[in-house]
Amino acid sequence: MAARPPLSSLRRWRSLPKLLTNALLALLSAMCLLVLLPASGLSSSGLPSAGQSGIPAAAAEPVTIRVLMPAPLADAVAAPVAQFNASGAGIALEVIRGPLDTETISDLATGSLLLGEAPFDLLLVDVSWLARYVAAGWFEPLERWFGPEVLAAMEPGARLGNGLDGHLWRMPLTGDTGLLYWRTDLMERPPRDTEELVAISRDLQRRGRVRWGYLWQGRQYEGLSCVMVEVLHGFGARWWNGSTARTELDSPEAVAAARWLAALLQDGVSPPAVASYAENDALQSFAAGDAAFLRNWPYAWREIEKGGGLVKGKVGVTAMVGAPGEQGGGTLGTWGLSLIKGSPHPEEAVAAIRWLTGPVVQRQLAIEQGYAPTWSTLYDDPDLQRRAPLLTVQRQALQHPQLRPPTPAYAQLSDLLARQVNGMLTGQGGPGPTMAAAQRQSLQVLRSLAGPAGDTAGESAGGRPAVDR
Amino acid sequence: MKARAASLLLMAPALLLLAAVFVYPLLRYGWLSFQASSVLTGLEPVPNGGANWGRLLDDARFWTDAFQTLRFAVCSVALELAGGLGLALLLHRPLRGRGTLRALTLLPWALPTTVMALGWRWILNDPHGPLNAAIRSLGGSSYGFLSTPATTWFFVVLADVWKTLPFVALLLLAGLQTIPEDLEEALRLEGAGRLQILRRLTLPLLVPYLTLALLFRLAQALGVFDLIQVLSGGGPAGSTESLALYAYLNAMRFLDFGYAATVMLATFLLLLVLLGGGWLLWRRERAA
Amino acid sequence: MNTAIGAGLELRQLCREVGGRRLLDRLDLAVAPGECLALLGPSGCGKSTTLRLVAGLDPASAGQVLLDGQDLGALSPGERQVAMVFQSYALYPHLSVEGNLELGLKVRGVAGAERQRRLGAVLEMLQLEELRQRRPAQLSGGQRQRVALARALLRQPRIMLLDEPMSNLDAQLREELRPELRRLLCGREQPVIYVTHDQQEAVGMADRIALLDAGRLQQVGSPRELYADPANRFVACFLGRPAINLLAIAPGRQLGLRPEHLHLAEDGPLAARLLRREWWGHQQLLWLDSRWGPLRVLCDPEVTLPTEPRLGWQRQHELWFDPLSGARLHGQGPVW
Repeated sequence: MAARPPLSSLRRWRSLPKLLTNALLALLSAMCLLVLLPASGLSSSGLPSAGQSGIPAAAAEPVTIRVLMPAPLADAVAAPVAQFNASGAGIALEVIRGPLDTETISDLATGSLLLGEAPFDLLLVDVSWLARYVAAGWFEPLERWFGPEVLAAMEPGARLGNGLDGHLWRMPLTGDTGLLYWRTDLMERPPRDTEELVAISRDLQRRGRVRWGYLWQGRQYEGLSCVMVEVLHGFGARWWNGSTARTELDSPEAVAAARWLAALLQDGVSPPAVASYAENDALQSFAAGDAAFLRNWPYAWREIEKGGGLVKGKVGVTAMVGAPGEQGGGTLGTWGLSLIKGSPHPEEAVAAIRWLTGPVVQRQLAIEQGYAPTWSTLYDDPDLQRRAPLLTVQRQALQHPQLRPPTPAYAQLSDLLARQVNGMLTGQGGPGPTMAAAQRQSLQVLRSLAGPAGDTAGESAGGRPAVDR
Repeated sequence: MKARAASLLLMAPALLLLAAVFVYPLLRYGWLSFQASSVLTGLEPVPNGGANWGRLLDDARFWTDAFQTLRFAVCSVALELAGGLGLALLLHRPLRGRGTLRALTLLPWALPTTVMALGWRWILNDPHGPLNAAIRSLGGSSYGFLSTPATTWFFVVLADVWKTLPFVALLLLAGLQTIPEDLEEALRLEGAGRLQILRRLTLPLLVPYLTLALLFRLAQALGVFDLIQVLSGGGPAGSTESLALYAYLNAMRFLDFGYAATVMLATFLLLLVLLGGGWLLWRRERAA
Repeated sequence: MNTAIGAGLELRQLCREVGGRRLLDRLDLAVAPGECLALLGPSGCGKSTTLRLVAGLDPASAGQVLLDGQDLGALSPGERQVAMVFQSYALYPHLSVEGNLELGLKVRGVAGAERQRRLGAVLEMLQLEELRQRRPAQLSGGQRQRVALARALLRQPRIMLLDEPMSNLDAQLREELRPELRRLLCGREQPVIYVTHDQQEAVGMADRIALLDAGRLQQVGSPRELYADPANRFVACFLGRPAINLLAIAPGRQLGLRPEHLHLAEDGPLAARLLRREWWGHQQLLWLDSRWGPLRVLCDPEVTLPTEPRLGWQRQHELWFDPLSGARLHGQGPVW
């Protein structure tokens, strides 16, 4: 018996080539599984089929409408949804909790939509996804149900980013914009422009009141593009020219904007770590009292006040500032509901949109999470003004909102700009070359999207290439 | 002949499965790589000749990512094999509480990659991560580890090694356990020291396991995705972007499936050339 | 043994304890140069343990291993210059026969030419030239044993240890190989310890046998001494096939009679009843029942049995034991 181990090890030794072949096969098939998912999705993506059975539900049986939302929003609407379901409308609204991160939930939604059978009827859509999703043909137009008068009752910023090609694709639920957070314990009033922001920062840093001046999102991700939208606008530049459907990243103003960002790090106003910060990293650092200013979305205010960090009760919020003489503006980060094409119950789904984007839900979101409402009437409500302290600032910010390029190619443009700017922030190139490279690559992307037919990308209105559909 | 027919029959389901999960997608990708299929075409495939391949050859980002992926794979796999061997040898020795130690070693491997990567991001956070806290308590000042390409790359490799070292160690430990103890004793009686035993007995007998670990890990590392996605997002400035990440961006973010298929297929071909070439080389050496 | 004091291998009060269990208990043993000592005993008796202590593969809990008067205790296995043939042969599976034999020489830094010379000599001695390129997996059991032996001989050991080297071979091959093994091993300078659980092998190979049970030495001596004059009931029972008959004749006394020492006698003192007979060709084995218990008797194959056989024996063949302790009782038994 004792002879077994050596003998079997001999056998194993001799069967090595077989072992290797097997290992290689196993490995290859594992890779295939990875490959299979999008492949199978593509085959049916042109014809999204209904998620539920096509048989109309009996009157007694409530129709189930599913909506995918980021988890915090899903949690915030839980009570109004229960209210809606109990109202006897014959609709059972089910909220699917998605990931928090905007890009991650977009990936999740894209994956479902590609597979053709999205397990939801409604999708809460970030303004930056809209052009791409519309181009992919995943949405049903909403103008049948919502006339122009509906959007007219909203704040100017909230009206943007919902329509494309003469259709309405989305009903806005929140009117969020990028905001500037400042420390009320360190200064009398917020800065009026970028120069003041830097001056106050350096003064406070010099006097040892605070370690850093300004925290923002410099990581290589879409959040950096949001920062860029604001900075570019603040310096009189623009990323996207809607009338030519081209980027203008190499303009002198754009380079000046980039130079200002780079100088923030070089002069020590912002920490080098900003180049690795996403929203939450910057928020955590600011909440710990590391800095005088923070660029973030409205939800950050609730986080700071809830969290009980060092700066709780010492934080003010203002609209994003621009360079002296320029009008500042925050990046529009609105969320809205879109109807998935092929939903078996569009009428019921639209009823759900009506309720979810209605004043009751928006009020609740403003109070509980600090999300900006879209309806003008809500901003005039004194009770809400009292319970949602950011309301005035948010309304002010919605008067000068900045849209990210409303093109289906936004994901590419954002990816390459974030990559280039992050390179500049980590010392791999000056502002001039950085922006020139970003512009060159952007034009390449737009050209490649125009296809072999030629450089027609710029010609179609609204920034969307003309496609026969 | 009869036995051969029978064995073919027995293998048929496996071969069919292989064709279904492997050959079909490859063929489909091959076909798709000659189509334009993006938001521009409403995601419908439209033949565009070799435009995707032409774009690939011209795409500096693809080749940069290919180089970065290869560099990452070679470095992390080399460290994993060396470290895994050391750990396996350590765990193979009769120590007190060896069972507990083995279980503990496996922990990083059991952790989902995304959770692990988030953990590392927190550890490396400037200024509030534990690493920077430790540096400050030693009198240094915080460092933005994820803000420079070199340190980011280093920690991406380190995180990968940290996570997969246990896997390699376990595989090699299994290999060590198939080596009968009396072989080592026989060599000890011949007067060999620890190093000589390692060089002349243990390592040669572990070659099949080392090869297996190498192949598995190399294939995995060349397809690295979630670790980088979470830890660095491919940054700073794309310096840690991998081919898988690039392919993913093209498919899921840019909805450019024609080009995504091209990138994936090209990645697969590179992998095949690399692994197949290595394997042939190894076989020829064994035959010699 | 009339050898010089200290020459050869000597074990003094050697103990091995693992986890509170005593595997070997105060073993005293001496093996002269050139002598082949068989360590015999059932499994778990401590014989392999002894071998490993001598080789230095395991540390002794107490006691000493002396070689030509030198204490080996502080020396590593490699420094002890011992060779061991493992039960499994422990051939290196990744190396050819030649590689297996050469590896030890390489490890010890023997130069190329000298290595070739020694290798050639041992290959020739064991008729392994034809097989020198083969891998262990391609060898038969007997061939593997030869390679293991060759490797042990190349070590030029001061002590030769063999751990059940025959147990992986079939019975016939074992018998055939015994003389060759003896020729190769014994009569050299070094002491040889040969571990086995097979008494035939022990008798066939060894000058002396040391019988172990439960970690204790039961008796050491020539095969004849152990057979004829066992120190206790265990030794008497372990040696000899078929095994000795134990008869509970009287309280406090147990009589041991070997099957070949009982014979049919009309006036014998012991009446028996035949249960079964086994015919072996040169002998037959009778299974009988008596008032003192079952009996085995070896006798002439052609003898015819009466229906009520009576058995007799010679007084000099009587072996008396204490039924409780198994200790040998010397002196006369009761008179019949």
